[in-house]
Amino acid sequence: MRILVVEDDPDLSRQLSEALKDSGYAVDVADNGEDGHFMGDTEPYDAVVLDLGLPIIDGISVLQKWRADGKTFPVLILTARDQWSEKVSGFDAGADDYLTKPFHHEELLARIRAILRRAAGHTTDSIDIGALHVDNRAARCFVDGMPIKLTSHEFRLLSYMAMHRGRVISRTELVEHIYDQDFDRDSNTIEVFVGRLRRKIGTDRIETVRGLGYRLIDPDNVPNKK
Amino acid sequence: MEKFKKKTPQSLVSRLVRSAVFWMIPLLALTAMTLTWFYRSQTYKLFDEPLENVITNLIAAAETGDGAPDQGILYLTREPLDPDYQRALSGRYWMIGQFEDSGVLMPLRASPSLSGETLQLLPNVKRALDAQPNEEIRTTAQGPDEEPLRVLVRPVILPNGEPVLMAAAADVRALQSDVRRFALIATSLMLLLIAAVIFAVFWQVRNGLQPLFTLRQKVADVREGKSDHVDGVFPSEIAPLANELNTLIGHNKDIVERARTHVSNLAHGLKTPLAVLLNEAETSKSGLSKIVARQAQSMQRQVDHHLQRARAAARGQVVGVSTSVEESIQPLVRTLSRIYRDKDIEFDLDLTTGLMFRGEKRDLDEMVGNLLDNACKWTSSKVMISSGLAENEEGQITIEVGDNGSGLSEDQYGEALKRGSRLDEATPGTGFGLPIVDDLARAYNGHLSLGKSKLGGLSVTIKLPGRI
Repeated sequence: MRILVVEDDPDLSRQLSEALKDSGYAVDVADNGEDGHFMGDTEPYDAVVLDLGLPIIDGISVLQKWRADGKTFPVLILTARDQWSEKVSGFDAGADDYLTKPFHHEELLARIRAILRRAAGHTTDSIDIGALHVDNRAARCFVDGMPIKLTSHEFRLLSYMAMHRGRVISRTELVEHIYDQDFDRDSNTIEVFVGRLRRKIGTDRIETVRGLGYRLIDPDNVPNKK
Repeated sequence: MEKFKKKTPQSLVSRLVRSAVFWMIPLLALTAMTLTWFYRSQTYKLFDEPLENVITNLIAAAETGDGAPDQGILYLTREPLDPDYQRALSGRYWMIGQFEDSGVLMPLRASPSLSGETLQLLPNVKRALDAQPNEEIRTTAQGPDEEPLRVLVRPVILPNGEPVLMAAAADVRALQSDVRRFALIATSLMLLLIAAVIFAVFWQVRNGLQPLFTLRQKVADVREGKSDHVDGVFPSEIAPLANELNTLIGHNKDIVERARTHVSNLAHGLKTPLAVLLNEAETSKSGLSKIVARQAQSMQRQVDHHLQRARAAARGQVVGVSTSVEESIQPLVRTLSRIYRDKDIEFDLDLTTGLMFRGEKRDLDEMVGNLLDNACKWTSSKVMISSGLAENEEGQITIEVGDNGSGLSEDQYGEALKRGSRLDEATPGTGFGLPIVDDLARAYNGHLSLGKSKLGGLSVTIKLPGRI
């Protein structure tokens, strides 16, 4: 899961990205509305944390532009403005949630998880695929109730595939959603990660669809298995 | 307000009408009196003319001497011809006489109309003649038929050197009633004129002041929030006043807006650093971070408190603003159904179309938003909101929000409105919702009341100034 944080206060921005990274997300940061808008426009983020009082272009305008351009990623507005009239204009501009400063990290992370799973059509934070249990809240995963130790990149890969289970996900899509933009993007490294993940959770849980990409499946219950 | 009322107890209209009437009534009364006096003097002058003629004729005809011994020393060569002087008690008489030492007028010759009676002159006639022996005198007397007479008395020296008085008299009743009628007509006409003029002045003043009444109405409209400025075309005398009022209204708005912006900028500027401090302190468990966390929380409370205070202070200061209740509620319901989409709440709206709140949109948003948020927190599935004109209270509207949650018991109502209290710690939120709404409603001279909703849970009703 890759998240864009648009926040002009450098300290808060750093705290946010650290907290998000600790929870297993890939994070990009923009410190003004113009850069933020450009990044949201060009990169496929899974969610955006957006401040309203931004330099150059304000947050509401950025959000309106994204929505006008057909961007559907969930957006959490994080702002000091706590009046209802401001909340209404935030939601009307296309926000999915609204959190006022000051806030607790836990609250922010819970809201992010909520908008992510809502966007993916899930109702809970944890996803079960057969014996595989992915807990996005605690950033942990279990097979048959046994905890599996994953690196943060491995967890991101698994979490993204779990969110979109049953669908074939291309290497490029995986690259775009699990690395932040500073990471050296080589789609070959995806194969390395998938290989390591398979070794940890079971080879048959990740199906390779030749020429298309990967799919997370329940090996004990595959509907179209030949 | 009180002071202004005391200083201007009378209306401009009555003031103008009264000052017009103050001058007009004496002026018209004087005119009526002058006219009557003039008419009277002219009429008497005409009345006196035949009497003068009679006396002139008598003087011309009076002879003394031996001509007719049976007639004594005074005789008339010819008597006045008018048949009225011949007919007994006709009301027209003449007489020539002398005062005796006793003061009684002794007739020497008299018109036959007197029928042998004499003209009873008032005693002051003799006194006047004694003082001014050669002056003609106009006086009154009683005639032989007891009619009031006007008498002309002229002292004359006969050719033989004898002084006599020649008097001519005529019934004055017709003349008197003439003059009285004239006075009556003149007075009635004047009264009519006064009435007409008062009416005309009143009408003119009202008409002339109409733009002022219009201005007053427009200002009231602004005060009631029906309009945000004084509009309309006014005459050049009060157009500057209307313009000044508009400038003042705009200025007032600017000041309030600026104050509000300053405070909220300050408060919001502090919130981000506070968020940073709190977050940073959370990550470490050292003593320093505990102090920082505690102090930052205290600062946050201060900021919230003063932000609310500043908003409250600016509230109700802006005149000429009104907000559509429906246009505030609809977006809020939309927003809240997104915030609480996981709860899948059913919203039941019963809104009166065209209902207006006399105040600012952001304040109405704040009140309704908090009420709805509160209801959404407590409800299990349903939230209702209704709006309408207040019953039995002019210029008031009510907005009711209810839910089907567990509700509150009556002894919990007071607690629910206390700032900072939370009745159920399990439901997230600051718990500040209801006290904020209460404060806001009070700032608009409104009222918040709690009760039981027909859905089963808590019902909160706010009464606010407004109209349809």
